Amino acid sequence: MTKKKRIAINEASGFVPGLNAVLSGAAKAAHGLDWELVGIRDGFDGLLYPERYDDGGLVAITPRLIDTIDPTGQDILGQAPRVDPFHVRQVDEDNMVQEVDLSDHLLERFKAEGIDALISVAGGRGPTILYKLHRKGLDTVCIPRSVENDVAATDVSFGFNSALSFTIDMLDRARQAARSARQIGVVEVLGSQAGWLALQSGIAVGADAVLIPEIPYRIDHLVASLKEKTAQNRPYGLVVVASGATCADNSQAEEKPSTYQASLSPLTSGDTSEHVIQQSGSAANFVANELQRHLAAETHPVVLGDWSRCGSPSAVDRQLALIYGAGAIKALNSGNTNHIVVFRPPDIEFVTLAEAINDVRTISSQRGILRIARSLGICLGGEPQ
Amino acid sequence: MSKENRGSITGRVLNIQRYCSHDGPGIRTTVFLKGCSLRCKWCSNPESISPKFEVAFDGPKCLGAKECGACLKDPFPQGGFYVIDGAPDDKVHINWDLASEVDAELAALCPTDAITMFGEEMTVDQVIDEVERDASFYRNTGGGITLSGGECMLQPEFSAALLEEAHSRGINTAVETAGNVPWRFMEQVLQHVDTVQHDHKITIPERHKKWCGVDNTRILENFKRAYETFPDADFIARTPLIPGVNDDEEHVRAVLDFIRPHKNVIDYELLPYMRFGMSKYQLLGELYELKDFKEPTKESIARLEAIIDEAFGRSSKDAE
Repeated sequence: MTKKKRIAINEASGFVPGLNAVLSGAAKAAHGLDWELVGIRDGFDGLLYPERYDDGGLVAITPRLIDTIDPTGQDILGQAPRVDPFHVRQVDEDNMVQEVDLSDHLLERFKAEGIDALISVAGGRGPTILYKLHRKGLDTVCIPRSVENDVAATDVSFGFNSALSFTIDMLDRARQAARSARQIGVVEVLGSQAGWLALQSGIAVGADAVLIPEIPYRIDHLVASLKEKTAQNRPYGLVVVASGATCADNSQAEEKPSTYQASLSPLTSGDTSEHVIQQSGSAANFVANELQRHLAAETHPVVLGDWSRCGSPSAVDRQLALIYGAGAIKALNSGNTNHIVVFRPPDIEFVTLAEAINDVRTISSQRGILRIARSLGICLGGEPQ
Repeated sequence: MSKENRGSITGRVLNIQRYCSHDGPGIRTTVFLKGCSLRCKWCSNPESISPKFEVAFDGPKCLGAKECGACLKDPFPQGGFYVIDGAPDDKVHINWDLASEVDAELAALCPTDAITMFGEEMTVDQVIDEVERDASFYRNTGGGITLSGGECMLQPEFSAALLEEAHSRGINTAVETAGNVPWRFMEQVLQHVDTVQHDHKITIPERHKKWCGVDNTRILENFKRAYETFPDADFIARTPLIPGVNDDEEHVRAVLDFIRPHKNVIDYELLPYMRFGMSKYQLLGELYELKDFKEPTKESIARLEAIIDEAFGRSSKDAE
């Protein structure tokens, strides 16, 4: 008798709306093939540390269970802050902290649990981790998730639509606040390498300017545009800034070479306060400060940041998540292991992990939306390269 | 150990820095070793934490894909470096998970040193030859060699051999240690040390665990045992002063209570927090969690130093 296939599913670090719907889609498709689906708790922790869990770290994702889980609620598997079995931080018996490679142990645990393949809902570094596990012999399929919609292989990542809806709602409020206070609201939204969230939300709310990583902005260009728009009968404005937007004409926006030698020993050199890592909040603060120097109106920076990642999934994301979940099972059934599931409407397709890794979906490659933004009078801070 | 045997012992060295004036008495050469057993969130030498050799990527030094692009093809690991299609420039990015396969030989192929390695294997003889170049400075200033890190006690054989060799050549020895190692490591190394600069980072065990990764119970046991086992060594207690974490009187007084009964603890120094290491987190692709922390004010440092001076029976003016 042929052994019933046993498939595991887990989630990489960080919440994205729609995770439970992925489980539902995968479970229904697996059930249709008479496969067993188990969820790994907290990334890989359920397998690496089963003793920490009352249920042994694995959850049977049965049709009965998915009938009872709330597709809009907190995901049932959970995540770990780090999901990288190649660098697991541990304290050894000598009370010393170290990062150890547990990938071999993880593969043994997969084998011991009789798991044939892994489906992982991952973004960021997740596909690379899966690729490395695959190279060590584990059959994997990746479901891409990205609230920034920057995975090039797929047209739409799940999680993006929910983040977009939330961002639009917040931008509407920011504009109301700016209008009543007669200020220029500068709102930073997620988008370290691609400005989809900033541009699409900016278009939706009719922002005065949208600054994205794909187009380095010029302050003088932005100032001229805002001066034109914020006339006396409209003394307010709204600027949307993606977190990865950079200034084309200001040295502060450029990274400086390190002074490695000077920094090796405390107290041996002077002030190195220029070594500031650009993180969430800095893009909006920089733009707001620069505008303040050039405009009469007051500016007010606001950072939405990780708030956009949370909450209930939108109707679009619930559908997408179900499709992706079922698509991952389809990938395994058709022998497409070491692939990422991609949605290219109206089809679900599979792309190898090696192709998908490092490939960022930027706006520059789809200039139509930039033309739309400009035709709506939105300042983009500069010209695309 | 015989001179011949110890000269060939190898260790993982991060860097050798000459003309250091704050790492012990006189002008010193500080040898930074790889590997640490703590994970202090304010660490200014993040490249010293891992015991392994690590690849570093300094983006601004990179010529870009059009002008160079050497790292985008063989023999560099596939996917280790990449450009973003549609980005406003041809900047090369690094995939840290795949680029970790880069070694010193590959890194040397980068023409601008944008790709470098942290750490190299060196023998005791190689290190001591480098250290001895400044022997005249040591004689004139009372300086010598200082082993730092990382945690130099994590390579006890290498550290002990290096310090023993330094002593045999008449060079003064010092270490900087956080003490979170098995006692046998400390015992092996400290017998060759003249000055022990040791960190009292946080006195409360739970708080120590939160900020440094593990509690400090064993660290304090080690220090107490070291004071008693090595009465002829000079011990200097040190605290990296982190605003909001340990820059309070309670901490300073607790450290003083711990060290003052031991006459060979000759001083207690405060090392005000500085954001020296921030750029190096970028070189390693890691996040620096304390980016919003400010450096302690001169007033708060002076207030705490006054408490230390009083405990050591000297006026603030004397200390200067």
